[in-house]
Amino acid sequence: MSKKTFHIVDTDIHNTYADGKEVTKFLPSHWMGRIQLPNNCFSPSPARGGSRLDAVTPSGGAPASDPDFLMEHHMDAYGINYGILTGSGVLAVSIHCDPDYGNDLATAYNEFTVEKWLSYSDRFYGSIVINHTDPLAAAKEIDKHGANPRFVQVIMGSASRTLFGQRQFYPIYEAAQRHGLPISIHPGTEGRGISGYPTPSGPVTRYMEWHNILPTNYMAHVNSLVCEGVFERFPELQFVCIEGGIAWLPHLMWRMDKNFKGLRASTPWLKRMPSEYILDHIKLTTQPIEEPDNPRHLSQIFEMIQAEKTVMFSSDYPHWDFDNPHAALPPLDDAVKQSIYYDTAAKLYGLPARPDAQGE
Amino acid sequence: MATKTLDYPVCRVSELAPGDRKIIEVDGKSIGVFNVHGQFYALRNICPHQFAPLCRGKITGTTLPSKVGEYLYAREGEIIRCPWHGWEFDITTGKSIFNPHKVKVRSYEVSVEKSCPHGDEEEASVETFPVSVEDGVVTLHL
Repeated sequence: MSKKTFHIVDTDIHNTYADGKEVTKFLPSHWMGRIQLPNNCFSPSPARGGSRLDAVTPSGGAPASDPDFLMEHHMDAYGINYGILTGSGVLAVSIHCDPDYGNDLATAYNEFTVEKWLSYSDRFYGSIVINHTDPLAAAKEIDKHGANPRFVQVIMGSASRTLFGQRQFYPIYEAAQRHGLPISIHPGTEGRGISGYPTPSGPVTRYMEWHNILPTNYMAHVNSLVCEGVFERFPELQFVCIEGGIAWLPHLMWRMDKNFKGLRASTPWLKRMPSEYILDHIKLTTQPIEEPDNPRHLSQIFEMIQAEKTVMFSSDYPHWDFDNPHAALPPLDDAVKQSIYYDTAAKLYGLPARPDAQGE
Repeated sequence: MATKTLDYPVCRVSELAPGDRKIIEVDGKSIGVFNVHGQFYALRNICPHQFAPLCRGKITGTTLPSKVGEYLYAREGEIIRCPWHGWEFDITTGKSIFNPHKVKVRSYEVSVEKSCPHGDEEEASVETFPVSVEDGVVTLHL
């Protein structure tokens, strides 16, 4: 086994607040300081809350609510150079019944990210939270922070009433492309609030069922983005599928390519095979990594999807299904690993070059 | 080849009540010592999955095999769930619940000794360690 030490960018760290007032002080006063988002409607997870039990802060605070402890317990402990902060509990702004509240809470949350986290350390980069059910407001929010180099992507919940390839989302994609920011989606809101059921055949019964099947929503969105021609319309747009799994992608690429050969007349705006758009525009993050009994089976899947340009490491700290950066990846060549751990994220997000990259 | 067993006093019995645990550093290893219904057990504090600090997990029971739609909750206090991914281990054996034959944590022998605890190293999956009580002293046999 390789003993190489890799530089690491963690592309999914769930920072949060210790006290709700850290966020609500940025809310317009007519909301009267409320943080109220739609709850899960499925039965509770046996994995306690949503977080690692050992990530509670020394003062007993919520996991990842204390920048000092996050730096010590995660960034330094695992040798992570940079972390992409994805926030916590806030992506339900997009499936709230009240779009005004969703917009204002997204705005407040971004102010909180700037004040508490981006000012704390240059090793943290932020994600602009938007409410995707109000694309015009979302575009304004992107414009507000688009010039701040410490925000390196837009993030939105993956649950939606409509598929992300639809034209109503164009203002979001235009704004993102204008500022050179990738759009990322993150699961967790499926089946909640105003989103539809988490499967086309209705609700799931238990948390495990829900968690198992989240990738189907990602498949639907990727399929929609490609077939609707979003990447022809926005050729610079990059789309990051956080925490949605990996092993489904070869199937989707092959099925789309096969169908395109016979059905391409219905999508004449596609100039290339569907899988080519995926490989050029879609990024996937690793956690929760699939764990086949034979790890080399996953290595083969990584090869099928050109993982050296499509896959980025993520830990999901401090959530219960966290991946240890030093234990999660399947057997891969060091060069591929280094791309997954650092280089692809650094290029996508415009992060500093890998410290040992000189001369390569 | 027989290896020498080392004995480590952990604490007095009165300091480790039923349902409690104590995580100690011994010989460069982090080991959790547990009092399960008055019996003492010890496990290596590393989950075999992704190396989480297993012994900091929740001590709980589990659901036994049952008919579809039926829950049989039992073994309260005998199971520890990893603080990360929730994998369940039997504290008394170190064996995982989902695959006891292949997935285990190292266990060690523990006894209660009056003066000088001795014990044999125990082979197990999650590293478990022997513990004994000596003069009210819970003793780990490593």
